[in-house]
Amino acid sequence: MSFRVIDAGMVNWLDSQVIYHAVASAMSEESEDTLTLVHPDVPYACIGYHQELEKEVDLEYCAAHGLPITRRQVGGGAVYLDQNQLFWHIIVHRSRAPYRIEDVYSRYLTGPVNALRAMGIPAEHRPVNDIQVAGRKIGGTGAATIGEAVVVVGSLIFDFNYELMARVLKVPSEKFRDKVYQSLREYLTTIRRELGADAPTWEEGKRILIAQIGESLGQAMHFGELSEQERMEMASWRKTLMSEEWLYQAGGLHRHGVKIAESVHVREAAYKARGGLIRATIRVREQTLDDVTLSGDFFIYPQESIRLLEQMLIGAPLKEEELRERAISFWREHQIQAPGLTPDDVSSVVMLAANEKELSL
Amino acid sequence: MTSLIYRGCEFPTECFYDVDRDVWVRRDDDGCVTMGMTDPAQAQCGKFVHIRFKAVGRSLQRGQSAATIESAKWVGPFPTPLSGEIIATNEAQYKLDILSANKDPYGTGWLIRLKPIRLEEEWQLLLSHDRAFERYRAKITEQNMQCYRCAD
Repeated sequence: MSFRVIDAGMVNWLDSQVIYHAVASAMSEESEDTLTLVHPDVPYACIGYHQELEKEVDLEYCAAHGLPITRRQVGGGAVYLDQNQLFWHIIVHRSRAPYRIEDVYSRYLTGPVNALRAMGIPAEHRPVNDIQVAGRKIGGTGAATIGEAVVVVGSLIFDFNYELMARVLKVPSEKFRDKVYQSLREYLTTIRRELGADAPTWEEGKRILIAQIGESLGQAMHFGELSEQERMEMASWRKTLMSEEWLYQAGGLHRHGVKIAESVHVREAAYKARGGLIRATIRVREQTLDDVTLSGDFFIYPQESIRLLEQMLIGAPLKEEELRERAISFWREHQIQAPGLTPDDVSSVVMLAANEKELSL
Repeated sequence: MTSLIYRGCEFPTECFYDVDRDVWVRRDDDGCVTMGMTDPAQAQCGKFVHIRFKAVGRSLQRGQSAATIESAKWVGPFPTPLSGEIIATNEAQYKLDILSANKDPYGTGWLIRLKPIRLEEEWQLLLSHDRAFERYRAKITEQNMQCYRCAD
């Protein structure tokens, strides 16, 4: 059986999500496995299936700036999507997909990884489902079972609006937003950032992707059209994805912090020390404190020492004892005066922020 | 509870199975059924991070989703192999411990109870434990799988 390619081109933003939901829900064992390629006409925000809209997205900002929002039937977190990303969706009948999720990703991410390599980017699949180059994420992916189909989704990111991504997310503070923005710039890359003037054109990139997916799956790829049934499913999914009931589902999953890439997270916590509130906005990478900003209404002298303390903590493994020891050395070395604030408070607030909690409400 | 076991994957003899949907079903004394996700299914799905149940009282046709499950890297339905009305969900247990299916898929990790409306007809489509075991054994071997449970 060959593999159908539906190159839908630029579509209404909602259809860039609807299309794979529809093809998947219309799929039966007799259907052809399908690759859909699409990009939206305008930017939008999209939350994961189990998230709660008002907890994840700055609804006021999106409304004020005309940014539409939807929810997808794939997991993961809130994302900003726009015309500079070529969305690819691999949709196969469950009888032809691997049984284990890890194997699903291994099989269906090989094509997109090889496509980036063919462009000149030394990309690799970082299990479970990241595509990375030299430790920076260049593609987020997700998988779901919809109807009888297994769906794997991702995008070729030609360019990215880091500022807007950080802006649409609901964050606990502006310091947190700054940290997310900085972290995205550092840990999320794009085709144009990697290749500059050597970046392929949109059409070349698409052609390479189709060829590499076909080669990785050992399939002859042929262009096709949506069937009548799939078009009917699209009409139905458009209604679903825009319904208030779908968008504002309650009882969702709220993850602690923002995931930037596999093993890179931005988190924040505040702690009431005797001398005042201390807040730690941190970036965690591979269980190490990759970056930290300390703020609050405490008093510390010399005033500039807080920035030096942050530098002292960066690179520490996320272990309370290690953080405490570094803070104690700093206090001693710089003869810190901080009424009601101790090295213990500093290590405690960093660990509070780092403490991984998945809150299922 | 006695079980057949292969590569760490357990299949209690008291259950019937829909292998394609990865669901186990047990008949209860009140004429209703209890169902959940099989051991291979919880192993391949990975640790649950969230589950959303359809409401009690909801009527479902065979194959329709009674709950949606999210694990670290996947979202998918829990489809019922029998038509009927949901009379109970295990939501309270999953609020206490989201890993219930990953720890005890046939016990505390049950997912829904259903009052079937076409039991005699649709029960024929389920497999007894020994026939299900043969199907699963082939699948597990082909996929080179091993089942694991989350520790307490």
